[in-house]
Amino acid sequence: MDISFSPEEARFREECRDWLKDNVPAEKRPLNASDALDFDKAWQHRLFEAGWAGINWPTEYGGRGLSIVQQVIWLEEYAKAHAPWIGANFVGVNHGGPTLIMNASAAQKAYHLPRILKGEAIWCQGFSEPGAGSDLAGIKTRGHVDGNELVINGSKIWTSFAHVADWQELVLRTEEGLLRHKGLSWVISDMKAPGITIRPIRKISGQVEFAQVFYDDVRIPIDNVVGGLGNGWSVAMSTLSFERGTGFIADQVKQGQELDELIAMARGNGMIKDDRIADQLAQMRAEVAALRAMTYRNISEVVRTGQPGPEASVIRLFTSELGQRLERLGVLLMGEAALDFRYGDDNLVAGYLRGFAATIAGGTAQIQRDIIGERLLGLPKSR
Amino acid sequence: MDLTPDADQEALRVATADWCRDNMPLDGATSRPLGLWQQLEAMGWTAMTAPDMGLDHATEALVFAELGRFLAPVGLLASAVAARWVGGGKTALALPAADKVRVFDAEDTTAALGVWGEDAGIIMLPGRMDMQSGLDLSASLSVIDLALTPNVIGDPRARRHLQLLAAAFALGCADAARDMAADYAKIREQFDRPIGWFQSLKHICSDMAVRCAVARSQLYFAACALDADEADSAFHVAAAKRLADQAALENGRANIQVHGGIGMTDEAYPHYCLKRAHLLSFIAPVSTSHLLKEAA
Repeated sequence: MDISFSPEEARFREECRDWLKDNVPAEKRPLNASDALDFDKAWQHRLFEAGWAGINWPTEYGGRGLSIVQQVIWLEEYAKAHAPWIGANFVGVNHGGPTLIMNASAAQKAYHLPRILKGEAIWCQGFSEPGAGSDLAGIKTRGHVDGNELVINGSKIWTSFAHVADWQELVLRTEEGLLRHKGLSWVISDMKAPGITIRPIRKISGQVEFAQVFYDDVRIPIDNVVGGLGNGWSVAMSTLSFERGTGFIADQVKQGQELDELIAMARGNGMIKDDRIADQLAQMRAEVAALRAMTYRNISEVVRTGQPGPEASVIRLFTSELGQRLERLGVLLMGEAALDFRYGDDNLVAGYLRGFAATIAGGTAQIQRDIIGERLLGLPKSR
Repeated sequence: MDLTPDADQEALRVATADWCRDNMPLDGATSRPLGLWQQLEAMGWTAMTAPDMGLDHATEALVFAELGRFLAPVGLLASAVAARWVGGGKTALALPAADKVRVFDAEDTTAALGVWGEDAGIIMLPGRMDMQSGLDLSASLSVIDLALTPNVIGDPRARRHLQLLAAAFALGCADAARDMAADYAKIREQFDRPIGWFQSLKHICSDMAVRCAVARSQLYFAACALDADEADSAFHVAAAKRLADQAALENGRANIQVHGGIGMTDEAYPHYCLKRAHLLSFIAPVSTSHLLKEAA
């Protein structure tokens, strides 16, 4: 075991750092949604042009074909340089793209992957429904095969970037009468197709960042099914372990930065003299360090065996709960000034309120604990 | 960068666990045979940290986590650090207080190692020691009613070494409690099903697994930071100790809860882990300022 990087990796880190130093935009990502979209697309395109998009994606689809360790190095340096949040490109780059790489046909990959990397196509997710949250296999949105098309009816919810997306990774029921995980399909759905209605939803933080999407006889070519009709569950699950592994590295580096800011804030306002505050800060400093160590262990496991170890499921849960502890402490340190928060403010209170999503989205903390208990410890399945 | 054990390290780890299971099971922790220390010596675990062995801290941490899982004698920690920095055989563990020194596992030795302030140090023990049992029933406890001045070990790495190995023991202790709780949750039935089926119990066990995964990761990182003599290795070892102590204490408590009534009894084993965790938490303890040092 060792924590040193190879000379080649160290050179790569230098390369990342140098480019980011000269190219990270000075202006902040705009809050307004349509300005933010232009900003996100332009930034993603710049990353692509410079060779920083899709570092470990296959070269034939516009990636660099480098190692996962180099991807980690890039993400670490990216966050350290305070480079902008990936924004509207999040789903395509971090989830839709990797799912296509693992499951899609050559034609689907050739069409979509370069567009994702170049920031030309925005993706959104379509998994949750009003009646299917934690119980994802209970989804009711249906796709009825009609010739070479699927006719889609139903509704999806909590869809981030729905209003700006070109494509949606849509999981729906394509075979009636089959129970639960069977009869589902994973489809590349055109968000501009006739019959789609989008109802934006405001969050407790004031932002309108997600939406409910309604499908009324929406017709999508059957060629857009990924991984074959009826295989939607395994396609959807194929990227879950990826998501739990490297998907959160930038968040983790940012948590370290936020913690350092909180320590500086507590020193500035004297609250660090309160032993309980100092103890919480010390605890989180140890936890931020451990989180990086845990991610490195997981990456090492991927390098060694080709897949994340069973403890990868712990990373996601721990990252989300640590983030919330940080946000909670931030609001505590603000004192009564937190009461001045108004919708539209972008401060610690907004982060605290937005952060409740971390233990809900993409599998609640309770579902994560079920998974850890059942897969890591072998306890009997409750569901 | 590689934070997983290589084939040699994994083989040594497995061999250690196998030997412990056969010769030093956890359920015998309060009644170890008289010859156990000689057996440990014969197997090489008391001297594996000596400088001429050339073993790195990462491998040590792996092995000590396994020894800790079976509640091996705490005297191993003091002896391992002594072997590395001052030489010598069996060394007892000293926990100095303001006006006294508590000494653990003082059988067949005249020296004890502990931490005074920021320094590791050695004291010579009086000829006759009154050995009794304390909270942790696996170690004999002798109390010297004097504030002794130790021979300080000049190298600051000695204290970090003790902190790292104690963290490894605590991690092993936390692992043992997790496994004991999960195993029991699979076989104990209520309402006609294993109690581990219920989320309320399952999630207690899951949190135990989370604490172990977090503590193990930081332990590996800290050991590697010590091996590489990184500037922030003191912080990383302190973080590892804090997280491992927490894991051991909280898993120790959770394990008793999962066991229910039987967990309250002296005859069952969950209390062994809890009591060991309390003892380990006082070895090279971590202060808040250690963890906030060098922060922004």
